[in-house]
Amino acid sequence: MTGGKVKTTVPKKKATSRQKKDWFAAYVFIAPVTIGLLVFYIWPFIQNVWFSFNDVNKFNVSTFVGLQNYIEMFQDKEVWRTFGNTLKYVIITVPVGLFLSICIAALMNSKIKGTSIYRTLYFLPSVTMAAAVSMVWKWIYNEKMGILNSAIRALGGEGHGWLTDPKTALYCIMIVGLWMTVGYNMIILLAGMQGISKSYYEAAAIDGAGPFAQFFKITIPMLSPTIFFVMITSIISGFQVFDVIYMMVGKTNPAYESTQTVVMLFYRKAFDYGYKGYAAAISIFIFAIIMLITVFQLIGQKKWVNYD
Amino acid sequence: MKKNFKKLAAAGLVAVMSVSLLAGCGGSKEEGGSASSGGKTELTFGIWDENQRPAMEAMVEAYEKEHEDVTIEIQLTPYKGGEYWTKLEAAATGGKAPDVFWLNVLHLDSYVEGGILADLTDAVAASDINDSFPEALVNNYVRDGVNYAVPKDFDTNALWYNKEIFDKANVEYPTDDMTYEDLLAKAEELQAAGLDDGVYPFACPVDFQTWYYQTVYANGGYILNEDKTETGYTDPKTMEGIQCWIDFIDKGLSPSAASLAETSADAMFEGNQLAMNFAGSYMVPEYAGNDAIADKIDCVEIPTFNGVEDNCINGLGYAVYEGSKNKDAAIEFAIWLGSAEAQKIQGETGVVISARSDAQEYFAKANEAYNLAAYTNHSEEAYPLPVCSVAAELYDMEANYLKQAYSGELTLADACAQLKEEADALLAK
Repeated sequence: MTGGKVKTTVPKKKATSRQKKDWFAAYVFIAPVTIGLLVFYIWPFIQNVWFSFNDVNKFNVSTFVGLQNYIEMFQDKEVWRTFGNTLKYVIITVPVGLFLSICIAALMNSKIKGTSIYRTLYFLPSVTMAAAVSMVWKWIYNEKMGILNSAIRALGGEGHGWLTDPKTALYCIMIVGLWMTVGYNMIILLAGMQGISKSYYEAAAIDGAGPFAQFFKITIPMLSPTIFFVMITSIISGFQVFDVIYMMVGKTNPAYESTQTVVMLFYRKAFDYGYKGYAAAISIFIFAIIMLITVFQLIGQKKWVNYD
Repeated sequence: MKKNFKKLAAAGLVAVMSVSLLAGCGGSKEEGGSASSGGKTELTFGIWDENQRPAMEAMVEAYEKEHEDVTIEIQLTPYKGGEYWTKLEAAATGGKAPDVFWLNVLHLDSYVEGGILADLTDAVAASDINDSFPEALVNNYVRDGVNYAVPKDFDTNALWYNKEIFDKANVEYPTDDMTYEDLLAKAEELQAAGLDDGVYPFACPVDFQTWYYQTVYANGGYILNEDKTETGYTDPKTMEGIQCWIDFIDKGLSPSAASLAETSADAMFEGNQLAMNFAGSYMVPEYAGNDAIADKIDCVEIPTFNGVEDNCINGLGYAVYEGSKNKDAAIEFAIWLGSAEAQKIQGETGVVISARSDAQEYFAKANEAYNLAAYTNHSEEAYPLPVCSVAAELYDMEANYLKQAYSGELTLADACAQLKEEADALLAK
């Protein structure tokens, strides 16, 4: 695929009956997953696309309205505001999260004592229920009784309404989001690092490369496919952030507007207010944005991702 | 090929992850419904409150004893996060909703519009329901002369206080016959006496049912006009009924609205940080079950406003699913749930106030440690919540603007003007 446009054509041969048998067996084996995908993902997705062109009420009675949901959506200030919040969340958490998880993975990869304990500790937040995590952090941030403000006050500072101040609330939520995802990304990156052959480092050491040069000249380039994977998945999950915010910010919170993400808006429209068609259009919009960004990344990766 | 595969895999992964976001919208079809087997009529009964399950089970048992040809299965779906409604709506669409289910006034209009509620008018007329329940409660579930539900229970509000804080400040306890001015004076007295750090005399969160609707209505204001085409937020009387609570915050007698959004009034009261608080009757089991305060608290009636009793009343009813395969049996069961026998069983558990007039007293009797009659003494004068088919959205809109007035970001007049404009546009849709 060098040059990008050259088509690779596989010469077609007639399949033997033996091959056909093998294929049949293979299809049988992948059937459960494929059927599951079709029933639980692909079909609802198609339905969802159809919903987005309809006015669907609570009881799924729908009337075709064409593009009206989309027209209304692009004029809806709330959609843009929540989209702005979401974008802010992604733009900040993805690079910071990537940086932190690479650093932690590099530390975990070094020969220090008790790495398995640390690895478990860092991974623990990822296997904890988001709802439970949110409840704990909500109390940490609490203006009156939170441990954070208590610590600040003990040091002579003044407390702050972390989750109720529109200026700080979203950043506080980002910290929780990072805390929950860094461990998972760290594990994937660590696995990538351990897959890098030791001989590169030995050769580099002989040539006089220090640990930093080794990290930037060997680890990072060799790790680029893993970094790319982590980046794509973090961006996707960043756009879909919901549970933590849903749990931590209530409707009467002054920071409600500044923390609402586009998925939260989707949820509210679909399940609180019963505008399922409109909500479907919002979800298609999120889907399109994620798809677009991912396509750009796939094109851009040629410049920096190293598969050799 | 290798690269192609990787790209494909990445694209596939993206598709799967993105689609998983969308899948939630599809609306799953739930199991349920009813059937007749072995000569027995099987009914399903949809509820949402685990605390009330024992009462519901006892009622089902009593009914099955009287009707040997009927078996009833209780289906519990939690209320939190709208799960109950989401499931009910999806099930109703698929023709498999429970035969009899709990319904609140807030959802009534959209369910009537959706055509999933059975007409109970004749069955209600043939029973003693019209004579034995407060008229307002029966009418809560009537639209265009059609009865859509049998009243189950109701909730009203009361003023709770923490005796320990009052004793310490050497202030006399609140009484049943207080007025709004008395409440304000009492709060100021507590403040003047000096409360512990972080303790407030009272709390005024942005809460419609338990706080400002009561005073809005008592003051002669309104939220929705008769034919539900216009809101009354800019009516001076409506605004006075809201302003009277903002005054508490401005005078430092209540924590700020932002602070209450984070630590609710109930949490503060249960943490001994509030001398007084308003609470709905549904909070009683929680207060009574909290050892930190259970022995130090009591309640009195909500203070009057302009000499008017001002309590808000809300509640639930039993509705029958229009698509039920055993509609007649389901209606018979729903009507029975409003009988003296059923309402007594429910009332004696003390978890909710039974709607039937002769069963209301059981609520106060079930927990004699508190003056719970405060909840039922004036229930016949209480105001029902304003409802319309877009009520959920309207309440959110209201909270959004009023919280800015509570925090001082906007004046109440500005907040109400903007709110009215947006809310009226919503009603016109």
